[in-house]
Amino acid sequence: MKEKKEATETKKLSTRLEWFWFLFPSLLLIVLFFFLPVIITIFVSGTNMSSSTGFNNWKWIGLDNYKMIAIHPETPKHLWLTVKYVAVTLVFFNVGMALVISLITTHISQGAGFFFRALWLLPRITPTVIYVMMWKFLGANAPYGVINQLFVQPLGFTPQDWVPAASFLFIVLVNGYIGASFGMIIFTSAIEAIPKDIMIASLVDGASFMQRVRYVILPYIKWPLLFVTTYQTLSLMTSFEQILVLTNGEFNTEVWSLWAYHRALNNYWGNFQWGFGNALAAVLVVIGIILGIIYMRYFKFGELVQEPKIET
Amino acid sequence: MKKLALLLALLVIPALIFAGGKQEAAKQAGPRTVTITVWARANNVEHWRADAAVEAAKLLNEELKKEGKQITVVVKADYSNPPWGDYKKKFTMAADAGEGPDIICSGHEDVPVWAQAGYIMPLANSVSEIQGMYPEFKDVFDSLWNAGMWHGKIWAVPQDTEARPMFFSKTKLKELGWSDKQIAELPDKIKNGEFTLDDMINTAKEAIAKGVVKPGYGYWHRPRKGGDFLQYYVSYGGYLYDPEQDKLVLVKDALEKWYAFQRKCVTSGITPKNYIGTEWKIWHDTVSHNKVLFWNGGIWQWADWKVNYLNGDEDFLFKNVGYALQPSGIRGKKGNTLSHPLVYMVTTEKASGHKDRDLVIRLLAKMTTKEINTKHAVESTHLGILKSQMDYKPYKDSKFLSDVTYMLNYNWYQPNHSGYSVWFDIVWNGMTAAENGEKTPKEAVESVVKQLKLELGDSIIIK
Repeated sequence: MKEKKEATETKKLSTRLEWFWFLFPSLLLIVLFFFLPVIITIFVSGTNMSSSTGFNNWKWIGLDNYKMIAIHPETPKHLWLTVKYVAVTLVFFNVGMALVISLITTHISQGAGFFFRALWLLPRITPTVIYVMMWKFLGANAPYGVINQLFVQPLGFTPQDWVPAASFLFIVLVNGYIGASFGMIIFTSAIEAIPKDIMIASLVDGASFMQRVRYVILPYIKWPLLFVTTYQTLSLMTSFEQILVLTNGEFNTEVWSLWAYHRALNNYWGNFQWGFGNALAAVLVVIGIILGIIYMRYFKFGELVQEPKIET
Repeated sequence: MKKLALLLALLVIPALIFAGGKQEAAKQAGPRTVTITVWARANNVEHWRADAAVEAAKLLNEELKKEGKQITVVVKADYSNPPWGDYKKKFTMAADAGEGPDIICSGHEDVPVWAQAGYIMPLANSVSEIQGMYPEFKDVFDSLWNAGMWHGKIWAVPQDTEARPMFFSKTKLKELGWSDKQIAELPDKIKNGEFTLDDMINTAKEAIAKGVVKPGYGYWHRPRKGGDFLQYYVSYGGYLYDPEQDKLVLVKDALEKWYAFQRKCVTSGITPKNYIGTEWKIWHDTVSHNKVLFWNGGIWQWADWKVNYLNGDEDFLFKNVGYALQPSGIRGKKGNTLSHPLVYMVTTEKASGHKDRDLVIRLLAKMTTKEINTKHAVESTHLGILKSQMDYKPYKDSKFLSDVTYMLNYNWYQPNHSGYSVWFDIVWNGMTAAENGEKTPKEAVESVVKQLKLELGDSIIIK
C-alpha cells in the first residue's frame, strides 16, 4: 500500500516536472546565450576595462560609463541614425518588401513564385564580404563603378563615389535586400497555410485582390507579422556587419551597435574601451527589451497565443 | 575495500606527480628544444618582419652549439595582413588567455597599452643599458629607441621605420609648364617651407584648369583612416603630446586650419567629393599609374606599387613620380613627415605561457642585423634602423631608400600614451565631418574639444 502511494507520488512529481524537461533545452540555450552574455555585458559596463587594463587591472567605476553616454556629444547623432535606419529598413524591406514578395509570389504560378523567392534568397546566402564588395563596386567612382559607367557618364552627369554620396540609402539597401528574405519565407508559409476554402470563399464573395489581402490574409498572418517585426527590429538594431564592411561607420553611418563595436573591439590604434563599449551594448539590450514589450502589447500577444474558441 | 582503494590513490598519485617532476627536471638538464613564436602584420613584400626570426634562429643555434649548450631554438613565424584593429584584437585576446606569441611585432604606440596590461615585459631601464646587452642593439639608431620607451624604460626593439612623403607626378608638372630644374628643386622647396600646402592647392587647381589632370585628380590623400593626416595638423603648428606632463595635447588653432585645408581640397575641386573610403586597390591603381598630380602616401607603398601594380617596373615610377616631405601650412616652416616605427615586443611569461625570456631577447638581437634587416628594408622599401646599414652595399644600392633617408631628419612620432587611441579616433571623426562638409571646421573643432575633455579628462591639454 505504502509502495503504491510512493509510486503514485513519484508519477505525480514527474508529471509536474514534464513541462520543465520540455522547456529545458531552450531554457539552457537562453541562459547560456542570452542571460549570461547580458549579465557579463552589464558587469563589464560598470568597469573601466580596456586593452590597457587587461582583464586583471580594471577598476569598478559604477555608472560612469552610462553618465558619459548620457552627456556625450555624439550620442544624439548615433541614436537618431539608428532609429532612422531601423525604421526605414524595417518598413520598406524587412517587413514591407517581404510582405509584398510573399503576396505576389503566392498569387502567381507555383513555379514562378518559387523562382522569384529563390532569387531573393541570393543576398542572404552570399558571403557578406563578397555581397558588400558587389555593392561597393556598383557605386564606386568612375572608371570602376557600374552606376557611373552605365548611367551617370552616358547621361552626361558628373561621376562620383555613390556609397559615400548616398551612404544612408546604401546601408538600407544592403541590409534590406538581405533582411527581406527572412520575412518572405515566414509570410509565404503563413499565407500558404491559410485554409484554401476561406481564400476561395473570399473570391466567390467578390472580394478584390486588395480586399482579400486586407480582410483575409493580413488578419490570418498577424502572428507571423508580430514575430517578424519584433525579430527584425531587434536584429537590425544589433547587427552591423554589413555596415562595417561597406563604410566602416563613416559618412554618418555609425549606428549604435557599430559605435559599441568600434569602442569595445576595433579602434584604429588598438586601445579597446571594453567598459564603455559594453555600456553602449547594454543600452541596446534595454531598448530591445522595451521594444519587445511594446510590440507584444500592441499586437495583443496574449490574445494571439490563446487557444482558439472554435475549430477552424 | 573502498578505503583501501582511496589509500592507494593517495599514495600513488603524488608519487606519479613527483616522478613526473623529476622527469621534467631531467629533461631540462638534457638537450631541449625551445619554440619561439613570432607574430607580425605584413603583406607579401613585408614577410621578413616574421621570417627574420627564422634566419636569426640559425645564427642563434650555431652560437648555442659553440657555447656547448644543448638547446635548439625553433621559430614559428606567422604573418598575415588583417586591418590593424583586428590584428591587435587577436593579440590582446591571446595574451590575456596566456596564449600570446613570444614576440609580437606591432606599432610603437602599443607599448604603453600592452605594458600597462602586463602583456609585454620591459627590456632595459635605459638606452645605454639595452645597447650594452648585445652588440646588435648598439648598432640601432639612438633616436629610434625613443619609439619603444615608456615611463623611463625600454619595452621594444625597433623593427623598421619609414617616412610618409608627398608624392608628385614629375611628368604632369612638366606638362603644366614646370622646367626640369623647378621639378628637381621642389623637394628642397618643400623642405624649407617655400612651397606650402596653399601652393600645392593652387598648382593642382591650375593643372585641372589646364586639363593636365582630370577634375578631382589634383590631390589625393590617403583614402582611409591613418596617422598620415596628422602631418597637416603638425604642418599648421599642432603637436600631440607634452612629455613633461605625460599628457596628450590638442592645439585648437592648428586643428581648425588643418580641417579647413581638408575641406578646401574638396571645395576647390582638387580632391573628389565624398572621397574618404575609396577602396585601397582603386587608390593604388590610380596613383601608381600617374593619374594624380599630388598624393600623400608612405615609402613602403613604393614596393607595393612596383610589385603588385606595375609588374616590377620601378623605372616607370622613377620616370614619373617624385617625392618630398609633407609641405608646411605656414610659409617658412619646414616640411615634416610622420614616422611610425614598428617594433618587436617580448611578451611576459604569463601572456605567452612560456619561459626562456632571455633566449627570446637574444633571438631579437640576432634579428637586428644589417644582413637580415636590409632584406626587409629593400624588399618592402622601409628605412633601415641600423647605423651599419647606411654603408652596407645592398642597402646603399637601393636608390629610392637612399633618396628618402634624409626625411628622418624632419620626422616625428605619435605619442606612447594609452589615451592616444581615443584622441586619434575623435580627431579623425572631426576631420571626416569637416572634409565631407557635415560640419564647418570651427564646429568640428568645438565638437572634438568637447569629446576630448569628456573622454580623456585630466589626460588632455587643450591649447
